[in-house]
Amino acid sequence: MEYIILILSTLVIFSVLLSKFGDDTGTPALLIFIAIGMITGSDVLGIIYFDNVNITQYISVVSLVVILFGGGLNTNWKYVKGSFKGAAVLASFGVLVTTFISGLFIHLILELDILYSFLIGSIISSTDAAAVFSILKGKNLKLKGRLKPLLELESGSNDPMAIFLTLTFIELIKNPDFTVLSFIVFLFSQIGLGIICGMIFGKILLFVTNRFKFSYEAFYYILLLSSSFFIFSVTSLINGSGYLAIYISGIILGSNYFIHKKSSIRFFEGFSWLAQIVMFITLGLFVFPSKIPEIFLPGFVISIILILIARPVSVFLSLMFSKFSLKDKTFISWVGLRGAVPIILATFPMTNGILGSEIIFNLIFFVVLTSVLIQGTTLPWFARLLKLDDNSANKIQSPLEFENNPDSNAKLVEYIVPFNSRISGKKILDLKLPENVLIVLICRNEVFFIPKGNTVINEGDILQILLEKHQIAETVKLLN
Amino acid sequence: MKISEILNENIISIDLKPADKTEAINMMVDLANNSGKIIDLEKVRACIFDREKIVSTGVGKGFAVPHGKTDEITDVVAAFGITKSGIDFDSIDSEPVNFIFLLVGKDSLLNAHIKLLSRISRLMNKEDFRDKLLLATSPKEILNLFKEEEQNLIDI
Repeated sequence: MEYIILILSTLVIFSVLLSKFGDDTGTPALLIFIAIGMITGSDVLGIIYFDNVNITQYISVVSLVVILFGGGLNTNWKYVKGSFKGAAVLASFGVLVTTFISGLFIHLILELDILYSFLIGSIISSTDAAAVFSILKGKNLKLKGRLKPLLELESGSNDPMAIFLTLTFIELIKNPDFTVLSFIVFLFSQIGLGIICGMIFGKILLFVTNRFKFSYEAFYYILLLSSSFFIFSVTSLINGSGYLAIYISGIILGSNYFIHKKSSIRFFEGFSWLAQIVMFITLGLFVFPSKIPEIFLPGFVISIILILIARPVSVFLSLMFSKFSLKDKTFISWVGLRGAVPIILATFPMTNGILGSEIIFNLIFFVVLTSVLIQGTTLPWFARLLKLDDNSANKIQSPLEFENNPDSNAKLVEYIVPFNSRISGKKILDLKLPENVLIVLICRNEVFFIPKGNTVINEGDILQILLEKHQIAETVKLLN
Repeated sequence: MKISEILNENIISIDLKPADKTEAINMMVDLANNSGKIIDLEKVRACIFDREKIVSTGVGKGFAVPHGKTDEITDVVAAFGITKSGIDFDSIDSEPVNFIFLLVGKDSLLNAHIKLLSRISRLMNKEDFRDKLLLATSPKEILNLFKEEEQNLIDI
């Protein structure tokens, strides 16, 4: 047992350390994680022999839940509201168009059976939230205006449609007499129940988090984490889309205030990364690189079809009536990153015993890799080319973050020392501030420093003062 | 972040004529709305007045910097206004205020907000700069003055 733990922890440590290398060279982190899995796996170093499709599915689904919930938590409805219509069309109609166009071209160019062509088209039809989130974030890529919320919303909500289409084509292959009607019912219950459950559970979770006062901060995180799995599984069991539901619950929490919100978001940020590392290593382990050469050519053709034809057509059709400019649409077409979802969907034909499902899996795996490699690495460059990047808003981490705590009346107030102020030139000690009133940070000429008792105050300094609400008046009197 | 980057001609007024402090702040908030970055105008207004209640932001030498933090904006919001005749702003030194700089920052970007405040107070503390601003005849000229003055700032 210690041996297994040693290997797994080493893999994760390597992933983290090598992600630095990715930053320096512009390689998307998920490619590095997959590569680590592939190298350790059965074919290359042979340290781990792993070909269990069920475990792969299991790990991937659990990871996706965390990633989607974390993504939702980081999304504020107020900012994405404006992008809702565009994203909804892209996530439904757009996915349909992508499926049919790529299916059609795969059928015409590779002369594959028409149902198999559409099956492949449907598996690669959804853009991947994990890939899009991590590249937008990891590359510190700031996009202008409504582009970022649109892309995040789209990638977070287009999985149900892709899952639906994939299951439909699997069923059609298995059972040629199958009626499409029952699957239309299935689609509506997936999307409808997904949205309803997501909203109801999101509101309940919000209420519960704010209602109960736990003595340990960690309990809030555990409540959120376990609830995300609860929401996912309950919704899935009643035939709703669990993925959609947790994403929506996450957004509801992310758009409202709740206790320990900032630290919870940070907790999920860490956990999402861990989930991504574990998921992509697993997927890397599961694939057999020795099988790649034989599907290289068709795989490459499918990637080209997807990147250059299906995605752009789907984006331009979906956003035909929107206010997005030609440049915007071109860029959105390029952010058709595929990631974990297609690879997970590619295991569905396997568990359903579809003929040739192993080849399909390898094909999809290859398409995802090329998509991330080609689109992911060129995104920042592409954004700059189209002048859509926004480098004025480089986020600076605050040296001091303050979170409202239910148990205290403490408040952080900033105070600008007036010009010619009476206190300018005085030492903090000599101000005789009330007890428990602290000047915690001073910003002078745009440089932050932590003051001591003998620090002399200058006019124009910005003081950040920690005090209790009832002390404000008294303190202000001393400062003025 | 530079002041001249967050300002533009639409959010600069060189001749405000408010009757009192309250009207002055209201005019500045309405002016800032031209930035297109405000989600909920009334909440932004409220956060400015809330901050003003704690202590006047009239920091002396004819300058006031009403400011606040809220998440009802998509990005840092600013506005700059000049009142030629000067108004009473309850300033520390009781001098009438000629220059008003409004700054609304995001809750989540406290550091950037404080740094901007620091830069504003650094610029506005210069007498020759204030004199130049008062003589400006168009928002464009004000913007150029800020650009020039910021270029001369030595980054510490």
